[in-house]
Amino acid sequence: MRYALTLYRWELEKLTAQWRVRAVFGVAVLAPWLFVAALRLQDAVPADTLFGRWVHLTGFATPLVVLVFTTQYALPLLISLVAGDIFAAEDRYGTWKTLLTRSAGRGAVFAGKALAAGTYTVVFVGLLACSSLAAGVVVLGHQPLVGLSGTLIGGGAATGLVLAAWASVLPAALGFAALAMLCSIATRNGPAGIIIPTMVGLLMQLASFVNGVDPLRHLLLTANFEAWHGFFTADRYYQPLVTSAVLSAMYLMSCLGIGYLLLHRRDFTEG
Amino acid sequence: MVKRFGAVRALDTVELRVTPGTVHGLLGPNGAGKTTLLRMLLGLVRPDSGTVRVLGERVVPHRAPTGVAGFVESPRFYPYLSAQANLDLLAGLDGRHASVDTVDELLARVGLAGRGADQVSGFSFGMRQRLGLAAALLREPRLLILDEPANGLDPAGMRDMRALVRELAEDGRTVLLSSHLMAEVEQVCQDVTILSAGSVAYHGTLDALRDRAPAPAHHLRTSDDAAAGAAARGRVGIEVEPHRHGGLAVRAETADLDDYLLALAGAGVTVRALAQTSTSLEQLFLAATGEDG
Ligand SMILES: Nc1ncnc2c1ncn2[C@@H]1O[C@H](COP(=O)(O)OP(=O)(O)O)[C@@H](O)[C@H]1O
Ligand SMILES: [Mg+2]
Repeated sequence: MRYALTLYRWELEKLTAQWRVRAVFGVAVLAPWLFVAALRLQDAVPADTLFGRWVHLTGFATPLVVLVFTTQYALPLLISLVAGDIFAAEDRYGTWKTLLTRSAGRGAVFAGKALAAGTYTVVFVGLLACSSLAAGVVVLGHQPLVGLSGTLIGGGAATGLVLAAWASVLPAALGFAALAMLCSIATRNGPAGIIIPTMVGLLMQLASFVNGVDPLRHLLLTANFEAWHGFFTADRYYQPLVTSAVLSAMYLMSCLGIGYLLLHRRDFTEG
Repeated sequence: MVKRFGAVRALDTVELRVTPGTVHGLLGPNGAGKTTLLRMLLGLVRPDSGTVRVLGERVVPHRAPTGVAGFVESPRFYPYLSAQANLDLLAGLDGRHASVDTVDELLARVGLAGRGADQVSGFSFGMRQRLGLAAALLREPRLLILDEPANGLDPAGMRDMRALVRELAEDGRTVLLSSHLMAEVEQVCQDVTILSAGSVAYHGTLDALRDRAPAPAHHLRTSDDAAAGAAARGRVGIEVEPHRHGGLAVRAETADLDDYLLALAGAGVTVRALAQTSTSLEQLFLAATGEDG
């Protein structure tokens, strides 16, 4: 346990020493402001997107539109950029033998890395949430938001709901992080660890649009990305959130379990 | 223990006994299984059968044994971190804290004084080799494992490495050092194990090996090889046969060789060229590993 924490601290240090991670965090902080600036320069609205119609009326629509965009296209990729590389990076640098010939066992190494990837995921989602909420409210104002049943939601409640909506996608975000870690361990290749979960995310998104694949629908990690819609109706409902969070937890545990076994059994005959 | 890679038996029932406080050479041509054996001792690779015991304790497969440190093939580090940061990290994985002073002292010891703050990405191959040694020493091992440590070192670096290895043994540490060159092992090791195609071909002291060693080999060219060959017949302590590149292959100790050359001069045969082609230990090494040309 002591070693896991030491490793966790070092993994965070290694992550922040990499330009890739700094760049992703930079994007998370800056992109919402650019989005809002672009909105100010034109009258068109992303009307097809949930809450897209309200972007000029209230700043609270901004973080929700950003949430829809991100979860539809970018989140698995942005998570995998780190989680899909965190194990394979040791293969790239040939440093497994350096790490694994000390007192810390493989379990501690695994736990340290998994915790670091999880931390990255939560921090990234948190940064994007806060930055898009701040950008919307500062630039476009804190007028009440029109909910999905047409009721008005005042500023204080809207802030809470927006943050809750962002927090509600964390289970699937962590599920994708675990999937990316599994790919990273199994393929020993950074690009594969990034591309495979990204493709899986896009395919799941696609499958959720197609009708007639109902049994499959229950296995889609991406269902969790829409569970927050229930927060914005007059009669709030949480069932989709509960179901999808349970599914995400199952993904998380099985990916981490298999990943740990693979790492534990691996013979380091190369590098 | 046994280790297979597909059909290749990389190691076949190898037993290695290393006396504490000595430098033990693990010698063998490329592909003999040296690195595979060292990986097992470090817990990186699990034997297919059998168990590995080091320092009196069974090595749990896939777990680095206590008291053992070292590297296999070339040591690797995080290139985007400084040497100091890399060593800090590794100390942390041993549950230790590496103070700046400890690290500075260690870096000076391996010939990297003042380079602690530099990123490892700027290090040459030889500097990484030295840093690998520092990283291993940081663990304060009782058994230090060095896989072809002289690789990539310049002559001064090799000399430093040998001096350091001797010093460590004097401090009571045991060093297991692999090499494919007898000359390198000869200079620092008391005992050797010669590996050939995954099996032990010799195990014992270098002195005992020397006693078993054939005479050094030479390549001789004369004005009349036939007469020179005839002159060797019946002489004790000398073996002469046609060399595959022309001339004669002569195996003899120095004194016997001197007598023989004087006899040749007496018989009117002049020597055009004489060169030693291998020392006795190299001869033995080549013979033991079946690489004898
Ligand atoms: N990862 C691997 N996959 C397949 N064969 C391997 C692997 N590593 C080593 N070998 C084989 O095992 C044998 C011993 O290799 P190695 O231990 O590296 O020898 P050495 O270090 O003495 O040069 C060789 O025949 C080599 O080809
Ligand atoms: Mg080798």
